[in-house]
Amino acid sequence: MGRMGEKVKSCLVNSNEVHMLLADKSNIPEACSYLQDELASKLCSLISSDERQTSGAFVLRYVFEVHGKEDVFIAVTARTKESAENQLPSVPSIVKKFPLAVFYEREIRDMFGIIADGNPDARPLVLHEHWSAGVYPLRKDFDIKTKVSRDTGKEYPFIKVEGEGICEIPVGPVHAGIIEPGHFRFSVLGENIINLETRLFYTHKGVEKLAETMKLDQALLLSERISGDESVANSLAYCQALEKIAHTSVPKRALQIRCICAEMERIYNHLGTLAGISTDVGFSYGSARLNILKERMMQLNSVISGSRLLFGVNRIGGVGIDLDAEKLAMIINTTQIVQEDFEKIISMLRTKSSVVDRLRNTGIISKKVAYDLGLVGVVARAAGLDVDTRRDHPYAAYPTVSVDTHHDTPQNLMEYKVNLEKRKGDALGRFELRVEEVIDSIRMIDELISDLYDDNILTTDTLRLEPYGYALGYAESHRGQTIHWVMVGQDCDSLFRYKIRTASFVNWPGIEQAVLSDIVPDFPIVNKSLDLSYSGNDL
Amino acid sequence: MICEEIIMSHKKDASGLRNSVDSGDSKHVQTKIMSDIMRDDVETIKDPVNGYTNSQEFRGSITLFDAIPHQDSLDKLCAAKAIETDGRNVRLDLGKCIMCGRCQQAAPDIFLIGSIFETPVKVRQDLIRLSGKLDSQGQKPYEQMGKELKEKTSKILRRSLAIREVDAGSCNGCEVEITALNNAIYDIERFGVHFVASPRHADVLLVTGPASRNMEIALRRTFEAMPDPRIVVAVGACACSGGIFGDTYATTGGIDKVLPVDIYVPGCPPTPQAILYGLLLAVDRIEASKING
Ligand code: SF4
Ligand code: SF4
Repeated sequence: MGRMGEKVKSCLVNSNEVHMLLADKSNIPEACSYLQDELASKLCSLISSDERQTSGAFVLRYVFEVHGKEDVFIAVTARTKESAENQLPSVPSIVKKFPLAVFYEREIRDMFGIIADGNPDARPLVLHEHWSAGVYPLRKDFDIKTKVSRDTGKEYPFIKVEGEGICEIPVGPVHAGIIEPGHFRFSVLGENIINLETRLFYTHKGVEKLAETMKLDQALLLSERISGDESVANSLAYCQALEKIAHTSVPKRALQIRCICAEMERIYNHLGTLAGISTDVGFSYGSARLNILKERMMQLNSVISGSRLLFGVNRIGGVGIDLDAEKLAMIINTTQIVQEDFEKIISMLRTKSSVVDRLRNTGIISKKVAYDLGLVGVVARAAGLDVDTRRDHPYAAYPTVSVDTHHDTPQNLMEYKVNLEKRKGDALGRFELRVEEVIDSIRMIDELISDLYDDNILTTDTLRLEPYGYALGYAESHRGQTIHWVMVGQDCDSLFRYKIRTASFVNWPGIEQAVLSDIVPDFPIVNKSLDLSYSGNDL
Repeated sequence: MICEEIIMSHKKDASGLRNSVDSGDSKHVQTKIMSDIMRDDVETIKDPVNGYTNSQEFRGSITLFDAIPHQDSLDKLCAAKAIETDGRNVRLDLGKCIMCGRCQQAAPDIFLIGSIFETPVKVRQDLIRLSGKLDSQGQKPYEQMGKELKEKTSKILRRSLAIREVDAGSCNGCEVEITALNNAIYDIERFGVHFVASPRHADVLLVTGPASRNMEIALRRTFEAMPDPRIVVAVGACACSGGIFGDTYATTGGIDKVLPVDIYVPGCPPTPQAILYGLLLAVDRIEASKING
């Protein structure tokens, strides 16, 4: 740890997590910079928790993911207190070096009342302007049932773009189609978008606070509903965090079923996104065909899990569903039929200039922007970043399947690297990547099924948790990496703190960058091609 | 023929898909597509009840049996707080239930999860099930429901039924199912139902989510912008009661805390069929409000 030596009070290692407790909170920016510059790691979450009752302070954990071959997360931990009565606790901001931290810091100010000194954006994020001041929902002394009074007359100060001929177009929160709510403020010159500001958190429903009132098994059901179409990935991340705290070994068959379902989730959602893109470019035949395939996959979901959205797949210590021979055959059959049709439809879409031309060079996110904002998933890969949680931090049964055939041989790797450099990060690139991932997922499902272990689906061990034990759980959803931090409560059957950071939370800022070279009518295409969840962001 | 080959080569080598066939013999491909369209089967379902849309495993509704609970922790088990017991009787609120199936696992003698979808009701109270009173709802085929809906709408409105959808804080699961109504399989437009962009054109407001506090004002405004008669349909456990998200600092605990709700569609999420059934009830409501002036 070189020059950080004397500034670190203690260091704790827990499986693949390293926790460094800083002697003083003033060292936060330096420690974070050190991790990014010297250890090539990237900020992937900022977790705050109110531990005043147990240790007398608020604790902040800046979680970094080490890039490269090693599967390590490093958490810089610091403590902060109210220095005097009526004064909010504070920490130094890290925004200067980490632009993506601006959202984390604003979130923590809203939810905990901890000020990040030096963060230039003092506007509220989660709690909209009508919430009265001094309300900090995630503090332990805030009762979840509190009905906060509504302040009227306040307005959210959007960034003003001024100049000759510049107009503002406000859109939302209620949109024209059947989609989730959010507000978009465009500043345009003619048709060209000069600036876009997104305003989200309309669907904020207090998920993290609610989890603190639930038993572990109930919070599992909640984790499935963080974002309905991402239920397997989010509940998987949650279960894995608990299993890590308890050092539970999950039966191999259960791990494989988790992966099968996770890939089925990826398939039906990618199909939906591709169909949506096809609708937005005005090619309804393509979207009709793709939506038929999505429906087939959802019907398959319903047969194997009893829910069309795969609710109820994961359990703490295993899975809640078993796949008998009949169901396995059904999965293989359906995915095969879907793949055949899918390939036909995609080759058709590629011959349509009305599709390809609208996607090419639309909604570009450069590699630099993707890196600086810490983007994840398809969006990051399309911009040329080589990230995939399934490979970088292997979990469940992924170590036994070839997740990533590009890294098999040196030749493949070389080719892939060249290919990555060529990626433009436009909507077409994201379209193509999703196509590729659908095919890959079907192949992985085949691999998993042909190698399915005959084993239990739930661990027989009792879950041995310790009070206030904590760990990170993570998974790669169809949107990208989702990271959950779980801290168990004192009775070992409740949660003390559940911090959820979905792929959507990190990818949303990307859209403001993506549309800058575009015209207003392209916005729906860009939005769809990024496939962002509002609920997963707003929590 | 060339195009057959293109497609065949794709089948053989999935990675071939990575390279665009853009430049290929697109005219041939074009012909191929046309013939492809002509050869497409009818995908739209007539009767999904006997198909596997509602698979036996699907968790769509709960039936209560009249058995004495042998454990008193039944009510604590339910994450959605849908169960209440007083030692003898069980009271189940389908409007809150998120269909997780935990109760059936714990007490199979009392709870039976089934795949029935005709669960939507007009009065919130009708979603409460008490042990001892078996509900004997049958299932109508989807096609028949749709036809009834079409007949009613054309009779009452003399035109199609226009719906405005608003997400008031859902997890997006309910949106997935509402969107599915528009796919070629359910194809709700054939029954004269269509989704409109503006509330000013809408007869029905389809709302999902627990009415999050941050959406409350936008929801009210959307409703106010609708012309009379207007019907509000609450879709999903969240909309019916707050569902798993309940009534907290960030939610209002159900759409009926904000707007007058006419139809409740329980489920988490309800199937497309259940939502269609809810719409059928909604049309009844429109009829009633016309008569009552
Ligand atoms: S199935 Fe419904 S009633 Fe039963 S435990 Fe789950 S939420 Fe509660
Ligand atoms: S009812 Fe269920 S699926 Fe629908 S929004 Fe609520 S949690 Fe999501």
